[in-house]
Amino acid sequence: MKIAVVVQRYGHSVNGGAELHARYIAERLARHGDVEVLTTCTTDYVTWRNELEAGVERVNGVQVRRFKVKHERDPLVFAKRSDRVFEQRHSLADELDWLDAEGPTSPALVDYVEKHAADYDYCLFFSYRYYHAYYGAKAAAARAILVPTAERDETIGLSIFQPLFRGVRAIMYNSPEERAMIQAVSGNDSVPGVVVGVGSDVPNNPQAHRFRQKYNIRGPFAVYVGRIDQNKGCKELFEFFEGYLKDPSGKLSLVLIGNTLLPIPEHKRIRHLGFLDDADKFDAMAAAEVLIMPSYYESLSMVALEAWALGRPVLANGKCDVLKGQCLRSNAGLFYETLGEFIGTLEAIEQNRWLAGSLGRNGKQFFRDNYDWPVIERKYLEMFERLKKESRMPEVDSAPGWLDRRRQDLPAAQDVLAKLPTGPAVRRNG
Amino acid sequence: MPDFNVRSDSVNVEQIMEQIRERIREKRGVDYTEQQIRELADVKLERFLDPRGVRSDLLDQFRKAQPAYEPPELPNFAFEDATLFESHRAPIRWIRKLLMPLLKLLFNPNPLIQALHIQSRLNTMNAEREAKRESARRAMDQLYYELVHNLVVETTRTGIEVKNLKMRIESIASRLEFNERRARALESAVVYRTDQDDAPAPRHAAQSSSSRQQAPSHQPQARTTPPPATSAAPVAVVPMLPTAVTPPTTTQGQPAPGQQQGSGVPGEGPGQRSRRRRRRRGRRGGGAASVVMGVPGSPAPDNVGAQGSTETIDSNDALDPVDEDGLSEAEEMDEAAVEREAPASAVPESPEAVALNPQPVTVELPVDHAHAEQAASPKSEATPALHSEPAAPMPPAIHETPAAVAPPAAPAAPASSAAPAEPAPSPAAPDHADHDPQ
Repeated sequence: MKIAVVVQRYGHSVNGGAELHARYIAERLARHGDVEVLTTCTTDYVTWRNELEAGVERVNGVQVRRFKVKHERDPLVFAKRSDRVFEQRHSLADELDWLDAEGPTSPALVDYVEKHAADYDYCLFFSYRYYHAYYGAKAAAARAILVPTAERDETIGLSIFQPLFRGVRAIMYNSPEERAMIQAVSGNDSVPGVVVGVGSDVPNNPQAHRFRQKYNIRGPFAVYVGRIDQNKGCKELFEFFEGYLKDPSGKLSLVLIGNTLLPIPEHKRIRHLGFLDDADKFDAMAAAEVLIMPSYYESLSMVALEAWALGRPVLANGKCDVLKGQCLRSNAGLFYETLGEFIGTLEAIEQNRWLAGSLGRNGKQFFRDNYDWPVIERKYLEMFERLKKESRMPEVDSAPGWLDRRRQDLPAAQDVLAKLPTGPAVRRNG
Repeated sequence: MPDFNVRSDSVNVEQIMEQIRERIREKRGVDYTEQQIRELADVKLERFLDPRGVRSDLLDQFRKAQPAYEPPELPNFAFEDATLFESHRAPIRWIRKLLMPLLKLLFNPNPLIQALHIQSRLNTMNAEREAKRESARRAMDQLYYELVHNLVVETTRTGIEVKNLKMRIESIASRLEFNERRARALESAVVYRTDQDDAPAPRHAAQSSSSRQQAPSHQPQARTTPPPATSAAPVAVVPMLPTAVTPPTTTQGQPAPGQQQGSGVPGEGPGQRSRRRRRRRGRRGGGAASVVMGVPGSPAPDNVGAQGSTETIDSNDALDPVDEDGLSEAEEMDEAAVEREAPASAVPESPEAVALNPQPVTVELPVDHAHAEQAASPKSEATPALHSEPAAPMPPAIHETPAAVAPPAAPAAPASSAAPAEPAPSPAAPDHADHDPQ
């Protein structure tokens, strides 16, 4: 079995959620077949600058084939086109222009997929929102399996992606919420799909004391792991945690791990450690009382899963349906939407040791049942087997004509998004 | 979080979140978002609600500021049949009239004349209507202004009333808290009766045996503080004390000379010291405890007052941290509490002793109704000799509890014989149907 994993960035130094997801899956599937990664030469998701050499290399035993990006992203043009398609009535051509401005625009990668699709049994396309997935899945529709990693943002409301969701052989969802959202927007119920997610290589015995000694951290603390960015909800997290600090009964400090794009409040109980390697990251999670996940938009929080794998409770942003749904399904995390809830939930975890322990144990079990690597691998292999037996070919919509592409009849993406169902999926089994 | 109801075998996140939200709602009243709270905080309501800012002559000021309405002189024209051909020059008028048939050959001016005439009339009508509407609007403005003015006044009045009510609530809450503290402090006080108090009052003794005692409401009592009805209902427990452990008392409950000093007096049983203290209080605060309990035959309050002013003694008692037996008030209270909680077996239960000393000692415990049922438990039945007179007739009991075992409630009975002069509280517990107000 030969599998192509097509992703926008790939490498050791690439730490985005979808990219890491793709790397983990590629490395795991490499144990069951021949896996080749098709990606670009970029490492920066903002500029899409060609920073790596085009060609073939091996990363962790997996063959990686890189292709040049045609042009970097122009932030002004991208912002202008985003405003156009997200907020106004627009045409299909506007959306295609937006996709081109978003990048990473790599026609060479798409050409390669088109020409060599027959060489692979299946092509796994990660992140529906990018150029490579849209055009690549069209080029290899008969073998395309989409891992959308879709979040609840305006992009899901763009019309160009609806045929994409209907035009692939299968979709590997990250969460029931993601599946419900995509099915609602595209009506792709007939496309085979399964909620899979991704596992994580969590160490068996993380060294919490070593982390405390190394970084001179004493006392109980809550940890945030990830990019410190406003889009990740960190600004709200800082506001809420400063509110929590005013409560004299609260003893928790906040430890931030990750690169920052935001000014961090000056307070003796807020520590920023920067980017840490995996060992330190897991040690920090093991030492923490709770992991805080303040993001509004997540298709699957790997960090939350890792915290659960380590038996730590999670405090998530309740405005994110996926995180809220994970907390409810696992019974392993609390969630907040307001300052009062943030303080109340944090105090509940802090002051009730039994509650924190029970949440952590539930999380550990939830991870084992749903996100352990054998479970993930089995779901992928079962899907491959299922598709091998099925003769159904995906529905490929005919390309619109010149006039149809320019007809200004598409609603603003944010209007489409507003009509989608909200709330966590309460079903326990995905 | 100590008040979480989470079971050890399962955690329900939804349930926990609901509890957290409930707590937040209790704290804040309404679970506002931060944005809503900030918006509310930004609105300076006080500026509108400040009574000093409300002017009573606003309406007059407004009327003065509003001049009487006069409809403006709108431009208009009059257009009749001959308007088009009029002229102040007679020759021109004549020529126009002469050439009129020629003009009518070229076009028909009548529709034009008619249209302009109608327009002129319409202009006039509109001007009149506009004038009427404007005057009506001004009148309505005055009404609206008056309405808003009245609303501001009423809102201000309501705001003041709310403030007053809040202050009243705070005052009542503080009084309630004080009373609760006071009631707790008096929980350990024990009131008992002497032989002479009980002897001429067989009916009341029977009531005592069923522990349905209550002080008469008309009789002033010293240091009586009504127990808080919301927190706990007092329950009277009437253990019988043997003569061997009860010091001889005088009519007013005063101990015999030579037997009240120190704690090392031979034969002094547990609780004697506190009983002595209570007797002393009863002596100070109006004589015998039976007076306080309203037992017939006890000395009248006037006679008791002969021993000294109740208020004076009370205040002195309160100021005096150490009593005659060398123990502080707090220590005595602790001892009394220990005695109250001591197992019944600690008290001598000799039948002879019971027969010799049928004096009931009433101990009031502030327990809730659930605890009141526990007071009638079989454990209490195991020591029937500790309770009221065996031969006393049993009053009709509403409780199924054996009356001789544990009287479940006597809520109106004072907690202390040395209570200040306050009317006895009305019974609050639901099991007072057999209560004799006398």
